[in-house]
Amino acid sequence: MEVLSFRAVSKRFGRSTALEGVSLEVIRGEVFGLLGPNGAGKTTLIRIGLDILRPDRGAVILLGGPPVRASLDRVAYLPEERGVYRRAKVHEFLEYLGRLKGLSRADAQRSAVHWLERVGLIGVTKQRVESLSKGMTQKIQIAACLMTDPELCILDEPFSGLDPVNVALVKDLIDERRARGRTTVLSTHMMHQVEALCDRVALLHRGKVVVYGELAEIRRRYSPHEVRVWTPMELDALGIDAIRDGAGSWRVALPQNESASAYLHQLVRGGVLIDRYEPLIVPMDEIFVHVVSGGGV
Amino acid sequence: MRGSRVLSIARFEFLSVVKRWSYLIATFGLPLFLLLLSITIFGFQTYFLAQRGAESSIFGLVDRASIVDGSRFEAADGGWPRWDVSSIQVALYPTYAEAKRDLESGKLRGLYIVEEDYLQNGSVRALRSQKTPLLSLEGTAIEPALRSLLRHSLIENRLDDAVKERVLNPANFVRGRLNSKGELVSSVDRTIELLVQTSIPLFLGVLLLTALLSASGYLVQTIATDKESKVVEVLLSSASADEIVAGKLFGLGAAGFIQFGVWSSMLVAVAVSASTLLSAVAPIPWLAVGVAPIFFVLGYFFTGSLMLATAALGANAAESQKLTMIWAALTILPLMVLIVLLDEPHGPLGEALTWIPFTAPLTVIIRLAVDPGGIAPWEIVGSIIALALCTWIAIRIGARLFRVGFVLTGSRPSLAELWRQA
Repeated sequence: MEVLSFRAVSKRFGRSTALEGVSLEVIRGEVFGLLGPNGAGKTTLIRIGLDILRPDRGAVILLGGPPVRASLDRVAYLPEERGVYRRAKVHEFLEYLGRLKGLSRADAQRSAVHWLERVGLIGVTKQRVESLSKGMTQKIQIAACLMTDPELCILDEPFSGLDPVNVALVKDLIDERRARGRTTVLSTHMMHQVEALCDRVALLHRGKVVVYGELAEIRRRYSPHEVRVWTPMELDALGIDAIRDGAGSWRVALPQNESASAYLHQLVRGGVLIDRYEPLIVPMDEIFVHVVSGGGV
Repeated sequence: MRGSRVLSIARFEFLSVVKRWSYLIATFGLPLFLLLLSITIFGFQTYFLAQRGAESSIFGLVDRASIVDGSRFEAADGGWPRWDVSSIQVALYPTYAEAKRDLESGKLRGLYIVEEDYLQNGSVRALRSQKTPLLSLEGTAIEPALRSLLRHSLIENRLDDAVKERVLNPANFVRGRLNSKGELVSSVDRTIELLVQTSIPLFLGVLLLTALLSASGYLVQTIATDKESKVVEVLLSSASADEIVAGKLFGLGAAGFIQFGVWSSMLVAVAVSASTLLSAVAPIPWLAVGVAPIFFVLGYFFTGSLMLATAALGANAAESQKLTMIWAALTILPLMVLIVLLDEPHGPLGEALTWIPFTAPLTVIIRLAVDPGGIAPWEIVGSIIALALCTWIAIRIGARLFRVGFVLTGSRPSLAELWRQA
C-alpha cells in the first residue's frame, strides 16, 4: 500500500523547470531512496509532498488522500537546510516540535526525554541548542523527527556531518522503523548508505525520474553479466574467458543465458579451486555517475 | 486553523522573547532606571528647596530715587518697614550703609538699590554677599515682585483707576473663531474643549503608533531569526502558515504590548491626571477612550499580519523593516489629515476612512473624541466588524505571502506564482 504517491507532478520556477511529470510511489514499511545530483528537484519534490509548495500540475496522495493537516501530522521531515531555534534549550525545542505535531504537553515531555536517551544526549537536556556541536545538533533534529513515531519520515541528508559511530546509530534507528512497519524516505548522496538501507530508489535528474524501482533489481540491471572469482589457478590457461583484475582475482564473463550459480557449479565440476566467488554487481555510485553524466538509462 | 497549534506557537514565541535578558532590561529595567533617576532628581530638588526655605527670605531695598510707594510697607517689630509678597519679605532701608551691614551679617538674602538716576535709565542694583547662596536672586519671585512694585509706584496718583488697571494689565485676550458662514463658533471654553478633544486622539494615535512599532520590531526580529535559522521549513511541515502567522502575532504581540504597557504606564498616569484636571473645563470623550482598546488590538492584528508577510518577503532585516513601515504609515494617515477631520469629523473623508481597515482605528477614535453624537452606533459596530473581517483576511493572505517569502527565498516570485501558492 502506498504511503506517498506523486502523479505526473510538474513544477516551474520562472523559466526553469524544477520537476517535469514526476510519478513515483513510496510503499508502506520500506526505506525509499530519493537520489539525484544537486539541483535535480529532490527538495522541491519533498516540499510538494508535504504541501509546503503547490505543484503547477499533477497530484500528490499522502496517506490515502491529498496532503491535509491531519495526514501531515503523521509525517516528519528533516530538511537538508536544518533549522533550529539556537537560543532555545534542547528540551524546550523538542517539546515545542512535539506539541506542533499534536502531542500533549506531558507526552511531548516524555517523548523528548526518551529520544534524547536514544540518541545519547540526555545530558544536554537543559543546555541551549547553540552550545551543542554540529553533530549533536543534528542528532537533536533527528530525535525531533522521530519523537512522534511518524508513519512517514522524510530525512534529507541525515548522515552529513555525523561521525561513523553516529552514522551507525542513525542507520539502526532507520532499520528499527522498517522492522516496525514504518516508512522512511531517505534523500542522500551517500550511495553506500543507500545500498545498505534502501529497498527501492528513484533517481531524479533535471526534474525527471530517470531510474526507479527495487534497488537490487536496478543494480542487477546496470551490472555486467560477469562474476569475480578468487582462485590460485590461472583461469585463462584453462581456456576460460577471464581477465585478471587483482592478485588472485579474475573477472569472468558469463556465457549468455548462464546464471552465476550454474556457472559456479560448472567451474567446480571442471576442477577449478575457488577461494571466493561473487556475481559482479555494480555499485550505486557507478550507476549514479553513469546516469547523471549522460550515459543513458 | 487549529487553536492548540496557534497557542503552542504563541506560547513559544512569547516565552522566547520575554525570557531574554535584553527584553527584561528594556521592559522593566529602563522604566525602573528612569523612575530612580526621577526620584533622585526630585529628591535633590526637594532638598535644595528645603535648604533655601531654611535660609533668610528677607530682601533689602534702598530707595535712593525716592520713587517707591511706601504705603505698601508695614511697620515691623524691631526693624525696618516690611512688604510681604508671596513667601518673601522686602525690608525698606533708609540708608545703604544699614542695609549693607545686614547683608554682610547674613540677615538679608539680597539687596536691591533703586539708584538716583532710576527714572533716566531704570537702573536697579542687585547685590549679594559672600554668604548669599548662588541662586538667591535669580529664579525667585523677588525680581518680578520688585518690578510690579516699581510699576505701581510710578503710576500711583498719576492716572485714574481704569487707566491704571490697563497699564498694569493691558490685554485680556478673548479668543474666537469664525466658521465658514462667518459665525462665531468658539469661545474661550470651546477652545479649551477643542484642545482636549484634539489632544486625546493625538495621544491615542501616538500610543497606537508606538504599540505598532514596538510589536513590529519583534515581528521583524523573529522573521530575521527564522530566515537565518532556516527553521520555517520544519514549522511548515508541522503547522499551516495561517497557524504560524496567527501564533507569532499572538505571542509577539503579547510581548510587545506588555513592554509597551510598562513603558506607557507612567505616561498614562500623567494623561489620566491631566484628563482629571481638564474634565473640569471640558468633557472627556469617554466613548472614544472606551472603544480605543478594541481598535488597538484589531488594528495591531490587521497591520501586524501584513507586517509579518512583508517582512518575510524582505531580503534582509533592514529591507524587512522598511517594508513594514509602509503599513505603519498607512495606519497614521488620519493624523496627517487631522485638520480636515477636526473641522468636519463626520464629513465624507471621515466617513470613508472609518471603513478602510488601515485608517479605521484612529478615524473612529478622532470622530468620537471631537463629536461623539455625530457618529451612529451602527457605524462604530460596522467598522469593528469590517476591521475584524479584514483582519481575518489579512492573516490568511499574510500567511500565504509568509510561506512564499520563506519557501521561494532566492527567487522573486511572480504574481502568478503568488496566486498559485495561495
